[in-house]
Amino acid sequence: MHRFDVYAVASRDIVFESFDGEAVVLDLSNGKYFGFSDSGSAVWRALSSGVGTKALIGSAAGAAAIDAAALESFVAQLVELGLLAPSDATPQPLPDDFPAVLAAAKEPLNVSVHDDLADLIIVDPIHEVEEPLGWPAVKQAS
Amino acid sequence: MPRVTMATLPDYARYLFAAAQGAASLFPVKQTVRLPGLEMTAHLSPGPLADALGQAFIEAGDDRSDARQLRIFIGHPGIGDLPEPAHWGDGHFTEHGFARTLAEAGLRGHHFHDLDFWQFYDPDRLAGVQLMRSAEAFPPWEPGSPLRAFLHWEYAARGMRLAHAGTLGLDGKGVLLAGAGGAGKSGTVVAGLLHGLDSVGDDYVLIDLDGGVSARPLFSTLKQDPKGFARLGLKHRLGTDGPLNWQGKHTFHIEAIAPKPVPASLDIFALMVPHIGGGETSSIMPMSRRDAMIALAPSGIAQMPGERESGFRFFSDLTRLLPCYRLSLGPHPEEIAGTLAHFLARVA
Repeated sequence: MHRFDVYAVASRDIVFESFDGEAVVLDLSNGKYFGFSDSGSAVWRALSSGVGTKALIGSAAGAAAIDAAALESFVAQLVELGLLAPSDATPQPLPDDFPAVLAAAKEPLNVSVHDDLADLIIVDPIHEVEEPLGWPAVKQAS
Repeated sequence: MPRVTMATLPDYARYLFAAAQGAASLFPVKQTVRLPGLEMTAHLSPGPLADALGQAFIEAGDDRSDARQLRIFIGHPGIGDLPEPAHWGDGHFTEHGFARTLAEAGLRGHHFHDLDFWQFYDPDRLAGVQLMRSAEAFPPWEPGSPLRAFLHWEYAARGMRLAHAGTLGLDGKGVLLAGAGGAGKSGTVVAGLLHGLDSVGDDYVLIDLDGGVSARPLFSTLKQDPKGFARLGLKHRLGTDGPLNWQGKHTFHIEAIAPKPVPASLDIFALMVPHIGGGETSSIMPMSRRDAMIALAPSGIAQMPGERESGFRFFSDLTRLLPCYRLSLGPHPEEIAGTLAHFLARVA
């Protein structure tokens, strides 16, 4: 079982939009995009709204049930990616349509990372880390 | 040599605005470009940037009564008392932190550290300043779409957006072509232009979502790598006398290959993400808006300084307003153009 039940969006730099029920998240601080599968989008929407993981696991049965281990792994991935952070807040109620959305989902819990252009945003052009010199090492202008 | 930090950044911007205003009468060249809803007057020195300003734009010919007046000072030491551009200090630099610090002061800006190249914009005063070490000390991409950062900031302040996308159209109706470099976007635009379709530009076009999605032209520059240049027959048509640009690509202007004058606007009916298909013919298949958004937004946001969250919201709204398709490109330019013409005639 999870160490935490409730999570929140990790920072104000995490912004997201939904497209026909599928979520795209952008981390403004580093320019990385994240595309969620249909079931992942439903879970992201719930978790980012403060719904607890226990409520998600208990929300549906049969084919629509969320596997606890899969959810734990998914949440850990979202925390690792810097999208969610544990929260002390009181759990919010599950959206009414969550079981139906989950039942209609065709894809497993998944988030894909799109960082092809992230370097254009996150690169620190002024400093470069060089192991022998530590941080910061001032980049010499060419 | 002064050094700028996040703490002193807004003050440095204001200092440069004041210095440029103080030297306003001393800039040797004044050029005005007429763009949609905007008259941009640049004060600068003779040289490649002034030449680019005269060649790189598709000027608007519509009613100018509502055009806002934008003034940009493009300066360097030697013009009045303009200072040497400052270096960035020792503090950590990120584009996002830089933009956020300026935005909190009501300003916009960009810094290219290799050249100590600074751009600042005040959207309330419609005034911008670009400070360089010398008249030619600008990033190599600047002449292809000069002053695009200032246009991006000004149009974003009005709820519009420069999108990194190509366009093709027919009878005023068009599609937006989005995707990463190398996906075939620019080649598709050229293929369409060579075979009877219209375009309001490749690379950067002005998008407005007011009353539907429309795309308007800003820049006339088109680009092709030598392989595409030859494949599309441009080597024979345009010659290869000009130097390649900083990306090793041929650059030319839309008027050189467009069959008709560039339209003032295209009503956009679809968002397409091209890719090299590998088959003998082209095809157009529906794709998810999620995937289309991920194809459209990153380069448009990464290549424009600041306004990152507003860009994400804008491109999200744009994507939700349009059906989205994956365009698999065949090898023949005429067939690609025919496929798109058929699509436009059917859905638009």
